[in-house]
Amino acid sequence: MIRMIRKYEDWFGVAGGICIAVGLYLGLAASPPDYYQGEVVRIMYIHVPFASTSMTAYFVMTAASLWYLWKRNPIVDNMAHATAGVGVFFTAGALFTGSIWGKPTWNTWWTWDARLVSFTILLLILIGYLMLRTFIEDKEREARYAAVLAIVGAVDLPIVHFSVEWWRTLHQPLSVSPRGIAIAGAMLFPLILMSAGFYLILTYMVGVRTQMLYLQQLLEAKKGRLLGEVHL
Amino acid sequence: MNFFSVIRWLAWKDLISEMRSRETISSMFFFALIVILIFSFSFSMDQQTAKTLMPGIMWVAFVFTGIIGLGKSFLAELQNDCLENLQMNPIPRGAIYLGKLVSNFLFMLIVELILFPLFVIFFNLDVFDKLPLFVLILIAGTLGVSAVGTLFSAMTVQIRAREVMLPILLLPLIVPVMIGAVEATGSVLSGESVTFYRHWIELLVVFDIIFTIVSFWVFEFILDH
Repeated sequence: MIRMIRKYEDWFGVAGGICIAVGLYLGLAASPPDYYQGEVVRIMYIHVPFASTSMTAYFVMTAASLWYLWKRNPIVDNMAHATAGVGVFFTAGALFTGSIWGKPTWNTWWTWDARLVSFTILLLILIGYLMLRTFIEDKEREARYAAVLAIVGAVDLPIVHFSVEWWRTLHQPLSVSPRGIAIAGAMLFPLILMSAGFYLILTYMVGVRTQMLYLQQLLEAKKGRLLGEVHL
Repeated sequence: MNFFSVIRWLAWKDLISEMRSRETISSMFFFALIVILIFSFSFSMDQQTAKTLMPGIMWVAFVFTGIIGLGKSFLAELQNDCLENLQMNPIPRGAIYLGKLVSNFLFMLIVELILFPLFVIFFNLDVFDKLPLFVLILIAGTLGVSAVGTLFSAMTVQIRAREVMLPILLLPLIVPVMIGAVEATGSVLSGESVTFYRHWIELLVVFDIIFTIVSFWVFEFILDH
């Protein structure tokens, strides 16, 4: 598995880079401004991919955690760990770009909207997850506890979203959702391209980080064996 | 021992040791009292603002004291290697979770019931005709906090920096409980009809059910050798 990642990850990185470069040109220069929001809407081409990749990252992390608890494969745990770290970046990116977008359109940097709150909670859970991992020495226990936290968080996030939606909400409805696409073609294409680029980059980053964590663990295990201790 | 007697004995053991030492409940109580006082000073409230702020203050105080109690819950098991013994026993892991959940829930509820009259006095509340509803919200909210909290208490007790990690992991996850409990309490206080806040109580009950089941299931991965 680690060999497969090493073989293909660069292609993901290159393809993602190309998609984002073309998507940025189309989104920032070639696409028309929005009828209501004007030029401001162009941040959508970054914000929406950030948001969707961060949710996907959490989903992958939960799947990897379930898989780990089932099969106890350390590489899958490395993958969950890697996804959490990369997920922090994407979630923070979604919140940051969303805040920039919110200032001209909602006239506020921050509001207690359902999606904003759930993304903040998502970020807090991810940071808590990474912190938890640093505080446990035993590798096997670290993987187990982290997996449990990821699963409990995955159950919690929809409830958080749902409860804050009842509480108060301001966010515009999703433009691209299972219920249909409410967006012009000239804007949709760069958005799809950017999203594809972000997903490829996400895959690339998770691949690199998974390898790194795996090698780190391997190194520690070898070091331990040299010193006469048994770790793994 | 069968499943239910494990739960009963674990909870009973915690209650007896608490009755003898009175450590957890008294520290929880005084901590909550101080939290309430600090809030009253820092907001310098008149009668009207007190009524609007009170549900939030009440639940923040309850959750903070809950964290004190939850932090001590599994800490006591570390002495004399009790946790190791629990882990080595051939008893279902879920039963250990439920036993601890019962004792944590009871500790929190007892402290809340002692504090509640003080809230009534301090904030001049008029609640006596709605007391059953209040108690229902109290039970539902407390169960939600202790259901997630018992799981994380067991998780954090065996790691470094446990005092920091418990609130960091617990507080983001119980946001729905906080919103639901605060909204429901506020609505009861302002004398709205039940139809306006029924959904908040339902949210609390759904949260309780989901997280008791999920924590019950994942607990076996916490106490696992």
